[in-house]
Parts: sequence; C-alpha cells; structure tokens
Amino acid sequence: MNFLGYERPDGQAGIRNWIGVISAMDNINPITRAICGGVEGTIPITTLFVRGQFGRDLEIAFDTLGGMGRNPNLAGALVIGLEEHSTGQIADRIANTGKPVETMVLQQTGGSIEATALGMEKATKLVLEVSNQRRQEFPASMLTLGVECGGSDTTSGLASNPAIGRAADRLVDDGGTVIISETSEFLGAEDLFAERAVDESVKQAFLDRVLGHEKRSMERGLDIRGANPVADNIKGGLSTIEEKALGAMSKAGTRPLVGVLDYGERPVHKGMHFMATPAPAVESMTAFAASGCQMIAFSTGVGNLIGNMVSPTIKVSGNPQTVAKMGLNIDYDVCAIVEDGRTISEVGDEFYDYVRNVASGTRVSSEVLNQRETAISRFEPSI
Amino acid sequence: MTRAILLNDNDNVATLIDDGSSGDECVLQGEGSGTVKLSKDIPFGHKIAVQDIDLGGDIVKYGQVIGLATESIPTGQHAHVHNIESRRGRGDKNA
Repeated sequence: MNFLGYERPDGQAGIRNWIGVISAMDNINPITRAICGGVEGTIPITTLFVRGQFGRDLEIAFDTLGGMGRNPNLAGALVIGLEEHSTGQIADRIANTGKPVETMVLQQTGGSIEATALGMEKATKLVLEVSNQRRQEFPASMLTLGVECGGSDTTSGLASNPAIGRAADRLVDDGGTVIISETSEFLGAEDLFAERAVDESVKQAFLDRVLGHEKRSMERGLDIRGANPVADNIKGGLSTIEEKALGAMSKAGTRPLVGVLDYGERPVHKGMHFMATPAPAVESMTAFAASGCQMIAFSTGVGNLIGNMVSPTIKVSGNPQTVAKMGLNIDYDVCAIVEDGRTISEVGDEFYDYVRNVASGTRVSSEVLNQRETAISRFEPSI
Repeated sequence: MTRAILLNDNDNVATLIDDGSSGDECVLQGEGSGTVKLSKDIPFGHKIAVQDIDLGGDIVKYGQVIGLATESIPTGQHAHVHNIESRRGRGDKNA
C-alpha cells in the first residue's frame, strides 16, 4: 500500500513540505515565532532551555532539535541562535541530510527587528525554493508512526487503543515502522511486552529501561507499581495493573518488538520499536518527531487535544461524549466499536486507510487549528 | 440491551459497555458473539466471565493473562478484584 510524499536527498520521504525555523536557545523563541507568523509554509520549533544545559542533557537537547530538523517532513531549515556555537551544533546535525539549511546568529545580525526581517527573507527564499517539489508515490514501508495516548478512559482500552494497534500491525506487515513510548505505562505488564522481543538482547534492553525507570521513581519516593491500579481505575472496572498496562500498550498492536530506542533516537530497523520517554504527551511526541516519525496516532478518551509541531498528530477517540464535545479537534471517530458492535479489525483497517491519506496530504486538526507544542525532556537540572 | 465487548478470540472475560442487571441476556460483540446471562447487577466498564474459569485459572483479556482467579468464576459472573488477583501486586493493598 502506498502514499504520496516528498522525496528527500537522504532517501527518506516526507508527508509535509515545511521549512522549520528552529530556535537554538530559549532566548530566540520570540524571533522564531515572529518569522513564522510572517512567512506561510514555515513551522516554529522552539525550546525552553539549552542555556544552562551541560553534558548529556545538552547533547540530548541538540540531538532533539537537530533530529526535528532532520525529520523528512521538513524540506529545509533555518536555525537561529544567540551565538555561533549552539547554532552550528544544530545546523551541522541537519546539513548531512542534504536538505537546505540556513543559519542566523543574533549577535551578528543586530536587534530583534533586524533579525526578524533577515529571518523572514531567508525563510521566504527557502519556502519558495522547496515549493517546486511535488508529491510522488512511496511504499508504506517508508512510514514511521508514533503511537501515543492521553486523557485515557475506559473507551481508550476498548476502542481507540486497539484500533490504533490494528493499524500499527498493518503498517508493520507492510514493512513500515511503529514506535510506542511512555516507559512508566509498561510497569506491571513489562514481562508480557518483553515476550514480544525478537531476541534476548532486545528483551533485556527493554526490561532495563522499564525497571531502571521504576528504580529511579522509587528513589524519588514514587511507587508506580504499588500505586496501580488506583482506586478510580478499580471503580471503573480495571482489576489489575497488568490489565491497565495492556490497555495502554494495545495501541502498539501485536507484532514482534525489534528495537529499543532512547529519547529521540532514530530506529535503524523496520518494525515495532519501544522508545524510553517520560509519559507526558508533549515531551514524548517531541522525541517521536526527533526520531523521524512522520506522523503520530494519538488515542484519547476524555479529551487531550495537543499535537506535535513536526509530526502531524491524528486524534482518535472512541468516547461518544468526547467526539461530540471536542468537535473538530477529534480527527477520527472509532465509537462504532462500542456503539454499533463493529469489530476492532474492521474499524482499525479503515483507520489504516485514513493514516495513509494523512500521509498523502489530508490535514489533521492540530495542524489546521495550530494545537501544537514542543517540549524537550530534561535529564539534568540547569546549572 | 446490555452489551459486552470481547477484545480477543482467546479472552475468557468481556467488558460491559452498558450497565447490566441481574438476569440480563448480555449480548457479546467485538470478537465474540452470542449471549451470556448476568448473575448479578454489574456496572459499565466492568468484566464478566464468558466461560467457566477454575480456581487459580488465568484471566485472559487482550489475549493475555491479566491475573488469576482466586475462586471459580462461572459464566456470567462479575470478574473483578473480589475474584481476580494480579500476579504483580495491587494498588489498594500492600504487596
């Protein structure tokens, strides 16, 4: 099964043709946003830190900003920094994709008025240049889909997560790549997910991430396993932590786990992957975008509307009240699984068709309504 | 009508998507079909056994084991914390 995408010089296929305007530091964000406000076809990629970050924490911030720049949904990038070093760190990470990358260093360009004007000029030239590109047919095997959930309720475990899981299986069967994240959600059923690993080293890598996360949480006085399912979950009908975790991980389908990734890391194989990320959706989706996911399927029960800036995020719900109340913010309605007795496989197969339509250019509400945000996780405190 | 979803062919519990009353002929949908007679009032979102489960038997949902039966659970019986135990500990009890 194919989709219509944009060819990139590094052999990847984008599903959008944006120019990314990337802040190399927090202090650049207002200029980045001003440029994007004036130039159609650009998206702002901002960061709340970089200043004050050191060591591994700083490397991850650079890798994540650079990774978003490398994402095939960007046809090119304009990196803006306060000074040369951090600007170059990010631009260099993007340049070897062969895509056009421009830089601008505020300390050389002048005040925010001059910088905005120069940035708009650079961004406009990039947008005009890449608008010559046309969509062409690519196999679904070139797609990488992130699977996420937020604002979960009973319908998430019964309808939206399993429907996404069905589409995830279909994509893996077509030779594509799927990534599930949110390490803490696996606790209690990590042994069941670990059984899906293709070999002992993948299994051990996965268990190390989950059990390491539990150990660090315990050191902070937070007992995730012991606290689940919480009283509300039990009242709602969840009986065990295994059941709760399986509901969340049903959005990853049933295919073998072929690889384990750290925050924002790019997969090297096709197939089903786990990425170790914090549970909050914006941080987790930022890591998906940095890893090269062209799109994200996001299951919500009671309603969580946020999407990623770089990877168009499909909002899927099986809760009739949420579908009615959240209106255009919900892209895909799977209520028929609960309301009309339709099977997960039928609805999931139709959803997979929709996923490929979004890859081919059908827009999702978080793009149109600009419900998009970026947050790079921190691994050490600022100095 | 009282309905319940079976999520996987191999599951022995289904999840109610309506509030059920004792004696209701609950209609199975999703990967299941037919009816199961409810043995008591059971709320939306809770599980029922769709086949007899022995003491110590696996409770299977999503095609995977979510816990063990702490008593025998006949078809149509409410399956929840009173007769299911996690293999991994539980939130409202000390491990």
